[in-house]
Amino acid sequence: MKKFFTILICKLLRFAGKLLGKGSSLPGQVALKLCPDILSRVELPKYIIAVTGSNGKTSTVEMIAHILTKNGKTVSWNREGSNQIEGVTTLVLGSATLGGKVKSDILLIESDERFARYTFRYIKPTHYVITNLYRDQLTRNGHPEWVYDALADSITDGTQLILNADDPLVSSFAQGREDVIWFGADKLSTDSETLESVYNDGAYCPVCKSPMKYTTHHYNHIGHYACTSCGYHRHDTQYTVTSVDLEKGEMVIDGKHRITLALKSLYNMYNILSAYTVASIVGIDGAKIAEDMNNYVLKNGRVITFSLGSRQGTMLTSKHENSVSYDQSIRVAAAYSEGCDVMIIVDAVSRKYFTSDVSWLYDIDFDMLNSPNVHRIVLAGRYVNDLAVRFSYTDIPADRIKTFESIDEAADFLNSDRKEYIYVITCFSDKGKFLVKVKEEQAK
Amino acid sequence: MIRILHLYHDLMNLYGDYANVSALKRILEKNGEEVKVEKLSLSDSASIGDCDFIFVGSGTERNMRVALGDLKKYSRSLKSYIESGKPALFTGNSFEMLGKTITDCRGETVEGLGFFDFTVTEQNKTRLTADVICACSFLTQPLVGFVNKCSGISGVSSPLFTVEMGLGNSEGDKYEGVRLNNFFGTHLTGPALIKNPHFLAYFAELILGKTPETDYLTNERAGYDVTLGELRKRVEAK
Repeated sequence: MKKFFTILICKLLRFAGKLLGKGSSLPGQVALKLCPDILSRVELPKYIIAVTGSNGKTSTVEMIAHILTKNGKTVSWNREGSNQIEGVTTLVLGSATLGGKVKSDILLIESDERFARYTFRYIKPTHYVITNLYRDQLTRNGHPEWVYDALADSITDGTQLILNADDPLVSSFAQGREDVIWFGADKLSTDSETLESVYNDGAYCPVCKSPMKYTTHHYNHIGHYACTSCGYHRHDTQYTVTSVDLEKGEMVIDGKHRITLALKSLYNMYNILSAYTVASIVGIDGAKIAEDMNNYVLKNGRVITFSLGSRQGTMLTSKHENSVSYDQSIRVAAAYSEGCDVMIIVDAVSRKYFTSDVSWLYDIDFDMLNSPNVHRIVLAGRYVNDLAVRFSYTDIPADRIKTFESIDEAADFLNSDRKEYIYVITCFSDKGKFLVKVKEEQAK
Repeated sequence: MIRILHLYHDLMNLYGDYANVSALKRILEKNGEEVKVEKLSLSDSASIGDCDFIFVGSGTERNMRVALGDLKKYSRSLKSYIESGKPALFTGNSFEMLGKTITDCRGETVEGLGFFDFTVTEQNKTRLTADVICACSFLTQPLVGFVNKCSGISGVSSPLFTVEMGLGNSEGDKYEGVRLNNFFGTHLTGPALIKNPHFLAYFAELILGKTPETDYLTNERAGYDVTLGELRKRVEAK
């Protein structure tokens, strides 16, 4: 009876919450109060797929859901990205019958890295994708090894790990485990021989701490590595990006499946690859997956095209306190060969938590904006002074940089008769403050 | 020629700490000095005695142990460097290496260099993080910054800062960091010398032996004012 009522109340709260436009954490929170072990009393589907990692969780989960649904599977997933245990509880109970049976073929869970050990105490994933571990929101997450240790606690026997072979720290989850599927990229035309990053999180082996050597870098410390001492090295992959052309916007998986990229970034490439891997494991044909991913535009609002007066632009939602995320967006702008202006906004460092810390700006490789493709740089927001100081430590000529404390004034400044495309790089916490000034284009 | 030693630049550089060296180099150059920065790491050999300033940044708990294993080879030279009154700054958990012992979350203990009597105990349950305002006797304005650690330190007899907001050396402790002569150890992470232009000027003065020219630090000062204002608002809201 308790199970019945807990599920009923969770569903009612979810229904009421949706009407009021409230988030999806509260119903699960109440359910966990009423019945703390409710998750272990629910009958779950054959496939429980979990996705975690620093970057790309939400996008990857959306892509997996899209492919599986297109191919006739029913999928329950946390589309709003409430990825702590409360949000996952709302998802599971919301998808269950009042008798406690999740009806879908697949339960697909985006999980927060730090809280996975609590969530997966009750729900053991059959498949567990770990995309990457970067310096991400360190004011709360500590550092990647700290997150690694927390995640290691969430992995139990009987779960198949699906790991990014190109990330040395993520790959070390396979130490002492046998049931692992690997995805990754071959040496790509976009690779560099030397590291392009302000810092090097691949300098030392995650297993023995001896120096590592890379034969190729896809970006930052993601690439093909080998320890000079203990033999730890990048694993061969079962699902592989065999080539990519970012200028054309095209990637090829396993030498045969060609996919057009709606967003021409390596991030997008990896998200598609991990979604491809999961869908293949579930039994979807590779050619079908490629078709479903072809020109796929994410619906989660992370990439927004807009017009500002006569000018066109794209907002690349990046994560504050996440230098790899910024580096990716900066690479997209710097590669825009027709010429662009770039705006960077840091107004509230975090959306949910207060912090005034701007240390993370020093981990971002802003020097990449010192490109002939980037004409003017506009900095804005409450922390514009800190941005200006950070830029003073790049080689970018000062006369190309304009600073505004007010985002409004910065947007007005950009609303000119200049012809350059505009890239706006900022976070969820700040994007709305700019978007009110522009006209958003509908996603294709 | 002023020689700056940036030790374990690749291993102990978790929160943008490297930028402290960039800032110091710039202020010394603006004051007409020729500056040489040596970035060294494991298996290198530094001549500590020839340096005018030594910097070590914060690292992961695992990396700090690796650095400590290497730092032991400099134990004697580093001790006499500090005793001679030459300046050094260790940010984040790096200064923990100079204490008596460090115990990890499993209870395993390694010995530090033993320059100080304090002991360090790490745990792996909660990351201890906080925005910080702290003060000290040698600066008229407070410092702002961020602490990001998992350790408690007990037995510090000569702390560096008094904590107005944030975290001290151990739970409930209102003192932060450690000082001996011109050795400064603080759990403030990242570019503390950029966020606190007066702290930067203080180090420049120690190295130059005269008040440095700091007029160019306009954006730095404005950034400091904004951050201090934001943090003070938090204090008042409580």
